[in-house]
Amino acid sequence: MGNFTTEDKICITREITVNKTEGYDDIITNFDIKETCKWIERKKFAKVCLQFPDDLLEVSCKVYKEIKDRIEVDLYIMGDTSYASCCIDSVAAMHVQANGVVHYGHKCFSKTDIPVYMVLPKEKLDFDAAINTLKKIYDSDDNMKLCLFYGAEFEHCNENITRKWFQKYPKSYICHIELEDKPERFLGRIIKDVQNVEYPIQALKDCICIYLGSRGQTIFNYTISIPATKWYLLNPSSSQLEQLDETIWFKRRRFLIEKCKDANIIGILICKLSGKQTKDIISRMKELCKVNGKKSYIVSVGKPNSAKLANFPEIDIYVMIACPENDLYSSRDFYRPIVFPYELEIALNSNREPFPTYHVTDYDELLPGRRHYGDIKPIQEIADVSLITGRIREAKVNHLDGSSQELAEQQNWALESIGKTLQDRSWKGLEQKLGETEVKKVEEGRKGIALQYSNEQE
Amino acid sequence: MVNFTVDEIRGMMDKKRNIRNMSVIAHVDHGKSTLTDSLVSKAGIIAGARAGETRFTDTRKDEQDRCITIKSTAISMFFELEEKDLVFITNPDQREKSEKGFLINLIDSPGHVDFSSEVTAALRVTDGALVVVDCVSGVCVQTETVLRQAIAERIKPILFMNKMDRALLELQLEAEELYQTFQRIVENVNVIIATYNDDGGPMGEVRVDPSKGSVGFGSGLHGWAFTLKQFSEMYADKFKIDLVKLMNRLWGENFFNPQTKKWSKQKDDDNKRSFCMYVLDPIYKVFDAIMKFKKEEIDDLLKKIGVTIKHEDSDKDGKALLKVVMRSWLPAGEALLQMIAIHLPSPVVAQKYRMEMLYEGPHDDEAAIGIKSCDPEAPLMMYVSKMVPTSDKGRFYAFGRVFSGKVVTGQKARIMGPNFTPGKKEDLYEKTIQRTILMMGRYVEAIEDVPSGNICGLVGVDQFLVKTGTITTFKNAHNMKVMKFSVSPVVRVAVEPKNPADLPKLVEGLKRLAKSDPMVQCINEESGEHIVAGAGELHLEICLKDLEEDHACIPIKKSDPVVSYRETVAEESDQLCLSKSPNKHNRLFMKAQPMPDGLPEDIDEGRVNPRDDFKTRARYLTEKYEYDVTEARKIWCFGPEGTGPNILVDCSKGVQYLNEIKDSVVAGFQWAAKEGVMAEENLRGVRFNIYDVTLHTDAIHRGGGQIIPTTRRCLYACLLTAQPRLMEPVYLCEIQCPEVAVGGIYGVLNRRRGHVFEESQVAGTPMFIVKAYLPVNESFGFTADLRSNTGGQAFPQCVFDHWQVLPGDPCEPQSKPYNVVQETRKRKGLKEGLPDLTQYLDKL
Repeated sequence: MGNFTTEDKICITREITVNKTEGYDDIITNFDIKETCKWIERKKFAKVCLQFPDDLLEVSCKVYKEIKDRIEVDLYIMGDTSYASCCIDSVAAMHVQANGVVHYGHKCFSKTDIPVYMVLPKEKLDFDAAINTLKKIYDSDDNMKLCLFYGAEFEHCNENITRKWFQKYPKSYICHIELEDKPERFLGRIIKDVQNVEYPIQALKDCICIYLGSRGQTIFNYTISIPATKWYLLNPSSSQLEQLDETIWFKRRRFLIEKCKDANIIGILICKLSGKQTKDIISRMKELCKVNGKKSYIVSVGKPNSAKLANFPEIDIYVMIACPENDLYSSRDFYRPIVFPYELEIALNSNREPFPTYHVTDYDELLPGRRHYGDIKPIQEIADVSLITGRIREAKVNHLDGSSQELAEQQNWALESIGKTLQDRSWKGLEQKLGETEVKKVEEGRKGIALQYSNEQE
Repeated sequence: MVNFTVDEIRGMMDKKRNIRNMSVIAHVDHGKSTLTDSLVSKAGIIAGARAGETRFTDTRKDEQDRCITIKSTAISMFFELEEKDLVFITNPDQREKSEKGFLINLIDSPGHVDFSSEVTAALRVTDGALVVVDCVSGVCVQTETVLRQAIAERIKPILFMNKMDRALLELQLEAEELYQTFQRIVENVNVIIATYNDDGGPMGEVRVDPSKGSVGFGSGLHGWAFTLKQFSEMYADKFKIDLVKLMNRLWGENFFNPQTKKWSKQKDDDNKRSFCMYVLDPIYKVFDAIMKFKKEEIDDLLKKIGVTIKHEDSDKDGKALLKVVMRSWLPAGEALLQMIAIHLPSPVVAQKYRMEMLYEGPHDDEAAIGIKSCDPEAPLMMYVSKMVPTSDKGRFYAFGRVFSGKVVTGQKARIMGPNFTPGKKEDLYEKTIQRTILMMGRYVEAIEDVPSGNICGLVGVDQFLVKTGTITTFKNAHNMKVMKFSVSPVVRVAVEPKNPADLPKLVEGLKRLAKSDPMVQCINEESGEHIVAGAGELHLEICLKDLEEDHACIPIKKSDPVVSYRETVAEESDQLCLSKSPNKHNRLFMKAQPMPDGLPEDIDEGRVNPRDDFKTRARYLTEKYEYDVTEARKIWCFGPEGTGPNILVDCSKGVQYLNEIKDSVVAGFQWAAKEGVMAEENLRGVRFNIYDVTLHTDAIHRGGGQIIPTTRRCLYACLLTAQPRLMEPVYLCEIQCPEVAVGGIYGVLNRRRGHVFEESQVAGTPMFIVKAYLPVNESFGFTADLRSNTGGQAFPQCVFDHWQVLPGDPCEPQSKPYNVVQETRKRKGLKEGLPDLTQYLDKL
């Protein structure tokens, strides 16, 4: 048996860490049990999935029980999502043919094709203390406009925040969480002023934006996609105000955009399934690569990590189709960098502003009919100097109007460049090497399993 | 008036034996551009009276303002040689029968060391070089550097002693002293030539010799010059002696006794050195008479030397008169022309021995034979050595030399960049040549076609080349060899537009700048910063000015100059480093160790390179660096970029499936060598040894995904356990100054971590030369600092020499390298602090 299982000793001595989460005494209010039940009843759903992130799995049973106690419905608990727990795992829900999903924990507010009820996390907030910190810098909004964003965990005291905010800064804006799909909605939020009039995000151009909450991907996405004059992070737990500046990040992204132009083979990394926009954006990315004469491959490997992606060393750069809350985009551990769909658009669609000062994290916005849609126009210059490699890069566009002979040559080119990467490898497969390998006596090999072979010292 | 037409020049281009392609090279301020003016004026392009002041080949405004040449400039000129001079050309390949005309394609190059890449580009397209030496300061650093380069490229030199006017007027040297000075310079030049040239080689003997007429003397500023041939001609009739014999008599240990009329080989009381007597004395007399305003003597002398003063010059005296007299007596253009036509090789002669240095392909293919015979009917082979900006912003003339065949307007040609490899399509373009043009200093002339042996510009190929390339019509042609520069771009600044919205213009400008200069590097770094890297402060200053004013046309913010560092190790790893793959089924056991001194340089220079036969390479490494021969045979790769000065060696024995993971390990190595563990700078001088590898038996579990990231982690662990260090670039700095200033130089160098390793007096002058090593990082503002501390008497020339370990441990907070690492990490947007070994090292 020792050959197949982990050694007993290792199992016994292995230490497992348990993360103690604070007790949720008031499950009913904390997890909106009553509202959830009402929603299910109103929609007359027979089968509903409850999706929990990993850190909330421990309360999943209690929530399940509370709902089950109140209404007659088939409930499934979903944990361990395919890509990210902030997105609705509609595929898993479809496996049980559920009518709807109730989502718990952190959210990214991206679109899905299944009815969802969102249960937002709740945290206590001392808004007065927070606003006092802010007052030290901006006493009133006479000279400038402010806009307050707050984290989803404070949505439960939404009214309180709004009232106090406009008391202090009546001319300013506030950005509410908006669950319904409206034209002005941006990353799950919508901007309103004191009269409750809705504004598009362009209104924030000359604003100073303040995010109430903790540091994380959410605030990061706002700072990069909303071109405000300044961005502040107001942390209510420590009452600290911190200015955020992402110029270094933007510089790095511009470098990656250049890298896209240099790339010959682009991997379209699928890290999201739900929503028909996903399909649209994939075909859009494929189209972009095609018109610019770049080869693209669709890669779907579940949650990506550096080991999985390094299995395709021939791919020059990945474009990841994922929810904007994904933080892998900025990771430097990957063998080849990962870019946003928007960045690939900038690189390969010459209709776009080549050096934007803001970012579009939500690929949904790039699709036809949306805010950042633009017709595809391939790169125009026939030859250009790459400042990364210091070489000439040529747009290998297929000119189909050429004579038939040219077409044949184009095909050869394609064949050649496929073969090129393989030719460069020193090991191409199982070569027999008849007569070249010397004959040896059989030797005893290793024993044990990979974690600890028996001949290795401990 | 220009005394030739474009049609005449075009006609001459076909007479390949009457072509001379030459560059003018020298130390900075020795008077190249000024001397070039003499030839330009002889060609009638500028007025004779203004020669020496115009500096016609300094075409840019800043060149005129600063009186320094920045870009090399080409000009084509047509001259005729007299019948009596033609007999001196004996080689049938040096002149077409019954043709008196000569086409001289001249390139005037900059002398400042920061622009020596321009010299390299000029030398590549020429066959001969006019080496100009200021006879007051003698042979200087840059004289040696450019001469060495010329000889390495198989360029034949001739020598010109410039600034004789200064020797006579300012230093008031005695004739014998002056002779000794000349003699010493000729000797020095010949020593350099002998060091780098093999007399038995294909170029034969190339040393310069005044008695053969390959050394000229004179003053470019005043527009007069002579060789011994001129003077021999004056005396030959009088002495009834053969011209050639007389030339031999007029140089060296030849003394003449005017009383006995006897020649002697020894100096005694009554005789006098022939050179002083027959050459220098008349010149001294003219100088003396005119500068001391001896009116009668002047008239007398003028009659003797056969010079009549034109009416408009009759009221001149002093220096102005001296100029006029000397210029009409010994016109510089004539002397230079004869030196060039007689002593420099024609393309027919030169290409015969230059082909093997120029062509990468087999030496017997069509292209090679075409080059060797300079055959205009062979397939086209042209080397583009640099790009010259046109008046149309962003477009360039591709400037180069046709070595074989003919380049024709409208012709379809293959444009091959430096990364082209035969049989592949990378860096290869087939495009039409829109126009061929003739470069005439600040003007260009369109021309129908250009046959082999000539220098010209092309329109319409600039988009497909970055800096250099080969243009051919031969399908199987290989590249012409890439030029090797004697300087490296080690000084860098980050640039950004003052107005962020101008970024697109900046990027476009950087692309243009990259093309316009043979050396500058414009890089978009991983951090997204835009870096401009140049050879030195002056080079960068000029590049940034060009970027701001000509290429980007926007106001630019530039960072302080910085240098790029390299990461290395000081010792062998103190433990065998193990890293496990993510699935824990594969293990790599490796160690890092520093390379022996000299090996990284050997790799840089290509003496050890990845394309060598592995057995030859192993033998070299074993003999020179005492590497174990079996290990040295198993060098898996060089890196970064497959060629850099770090190696990965397989020291394992009998590991199964090892060859299958080689590609993945190599990929991981390239990654780690490019982005080191400390500050993501390139590695340098590190050897990694693979001692053991454990692999999963199923191929799927030991794929690239498992091995590539693991290799990188393991290499990082090796680096961290082997005393990581930083290396910084160091200049070799040569400072010329009078003795009184030497003390000041030491003070400045000490403050800047520099150290002097040689100090010597220039023989025959009061000047001293101080040689020192100076970290590039400390060199910013060095020239100005030095000037203020020596009363403006010291003049430094700095050229990148080597990499040196920055003393201190980067892992120790507060040390200098630590601060450098932290600054670099911050600039690159990396996590600050030190890398954590436990992230990379695994336990069993």
